[in-house]
Amino acid sequence: MVQRIVAVTAGLSVPSSTRLLTDRIVAATRELAKARGDQVQVGRGQELQIDVVELRDLAQDIAAHLVTRFPSERLAQVLEGVSTADGLIVVTPTFAGSYSGLFKSFFDLLEPTALAGTPVLLGATGGTARHSLMLDHAMRPLFAYLQAEPVATGIFAATDDFADAGLARRIDRAAGQLVAAVGANACTTYAAAAEDVPAPAQSELSAVPDFRDLLFGKR
Amino acid sequence: MEFGIFTVGDVTPDPTTGRTPTEAERIQAMVTIAKKAEEVGLDVFATGEHHNPPFVPSSPTTMLGFLAAQTSTLKLSTSTTLITTNDPVKIAEDFAMLQHLAGGRVDLMMGRGNTGPVYPWFGQDIREGVNLAVENYHLLRRLWREDVVDWSGRFRTPLQGFTSTPRPLDGVPPFVWHGSIRSTEIAEQAAFYGDGFFHNNIFWPLRHTRQMVQLYRERYEHHGHGRADQAIVGLGGQVFMRENSQDAVREFRPYFDEAPVYGHGPSMEDFTAQTPLTVGSPQQVIERYLTMREAVGDYQRQLFLMDHAGLPLKTVLEQLDMLGEQVVPVLRKELDALRPADVPAHAPTHAELVAAGADSANAHVLPSVTVQQDSVVDDALQIKGA
Repeated sequence: MVQRIVAVTAGLSVPSSTRLLTDRIVAATRELAKARGDQVQVGRGQELQIDVVELRDLAQDIAAHLVTRFPSERLAQVLEGVSTADGLIVVTPTFAGSYSGLFKSFFDLLEPTALAGTPVLLGATGGTARHSLMLDHAMRPLFAYLQAEPVATGIFAATDDFADAGLARRIDRAAGQLVAAVGANACTTYAAAAEDVPAPAQSELSAVPDFRDLLFGKR
Repeated sequence: MEFGIFTVGDVTPDPTTGRTPTEAERIQAMVTIAKKAEEVGLDVFATGEHHNPPFVPSSPTTMLGFLAAQTSTLKLSTSTTLITTNDPVKIAEDFAMLQHLAGGRVDLMMGRGNTGPVYPWFGQDIREGVNLAVENYHLLRRLWREDVVDWSGRFRTPLQGFTSTPRPLDGVPPFVWHGSIRSTEIAEQAAFYGDGFFHNNIFWPLRHTRQMVQLYRERYEHHGHGRADQAIVGLGGQVFMRENSQDAVREFRPYFDEAPVYGHGPSMEDFTAQTPLTVGSPQQVIERYLTMREAVGDYQRQLFLMDHAGLPLKTVLEQLDMLGEQVVPVLRKELDALRPADVPAHAPTHAELVAAGADSANAHVLPSVTVQQDSVVDDALQIKGA
């Protein structure tokens, strides 16, 4: 079974410090999953796949979706991938004390419960450390609303932090928490499957109501 | 195969001149466009229903009654009639009256199609949208099919010994379509009763339309109305044509870029690639619309949105000439040749429903096949003989 983590990164420039932070988190997550593979669930007969999604590449698709209310083919694929991921890494630059508008617009396009129960690692970049509380003032409430499960350690990287060994330690700690949460969720899934609990509907079209239930008041 | 046009009745400034038509001009233009549709050999004219500016068609049966007097072959329909915020008693009466005036040239399409603020204007709650569509439509069916109705439900005052008048023409209610874009409940509703299902796909990629139509077809068969491929399906479409495709692109682009719905969003090239909007020569339109059948199967009705986004009346009438003379005859011939003999070629006409008689599925309130198995049926929903 493949465990799949998607890293969503919202940096706007090329190269971007947000992408740089994302790549470091992805690399640490991959290393930790491999190292823990023998002890923890992720890696034991399982493969960890990490996909990186650059929102910059999807900026026009995201804006068009907001206007037309349907996604382009490639945006639909990305939304599906994020909705079905076992874990997420989300990283945004800090704009005006919060996540960027592009970042929020992307998550606005997900179905309201698409991330329910999904472990999420929160990351952000900013000019100075005085913005670092945006992780807890802005990002955590957003993902709480989406019923996701943010891991305890958030990673804020101010420009200075890229020269600081402390950042690497925080990345390792957060990545470890994400790997553990994804692994724990995998165990839960197996337990549920063993008891024949039906899997939640993947798509709105897979849940067909029976009209008699609607008509005869079982609504 | 039936072809027609459907209008939303938007009053939109012409972006190339900045001029906005008056409501009177727009309403008269809709009448002219509908009459032109008959003249160029189209089968159906359908009007939307809206209760907020910039739209004018708040009173579809008034407009369709006026058109009934000035046309002779055109089927008059809606796109859509709001089953959520209209009183089903009034819908039953209005459309029965229209049937009599139009000599049976009437069908209609149910929709929820309301923005949130419209619900409270008519005393309803958008959170009950699907439930309103379910209960109100069921009452509407009974009002058309039973001479005397006792009713109590969640959403309107009870009825005791009520008879809606006039009774449907020849005792046969109009054929009903259910329009839905995303709600599986509505596709299921259409399938349950054996009514038509219209997917207004004009802003949606074909892959989504395919899924919704497929769902309706499967459930149509499940509920015992016939094979999935015999279910009654309609699709939306929109086109802009000139003999030379580059002329079409150049002329339509300002209207596209400023259109109320998709303007300022994707480029026209992206949008035409992803949705049924086709801007080009009549031949390109023909080729594009032949692919719809490949996605959804043989279907019965194709409606085009032609008069929107501020296009001048003169242009719209030229478009209808091209549609009627160059596009529809070819599509009709090609699609009719491909359709198996036992798949309906069009939505049932009044004459066909009359001929089908009292035992036909359309004459029943509930489809007997899947409901008879149900032992616990709410008394309020019981009908005589079911």
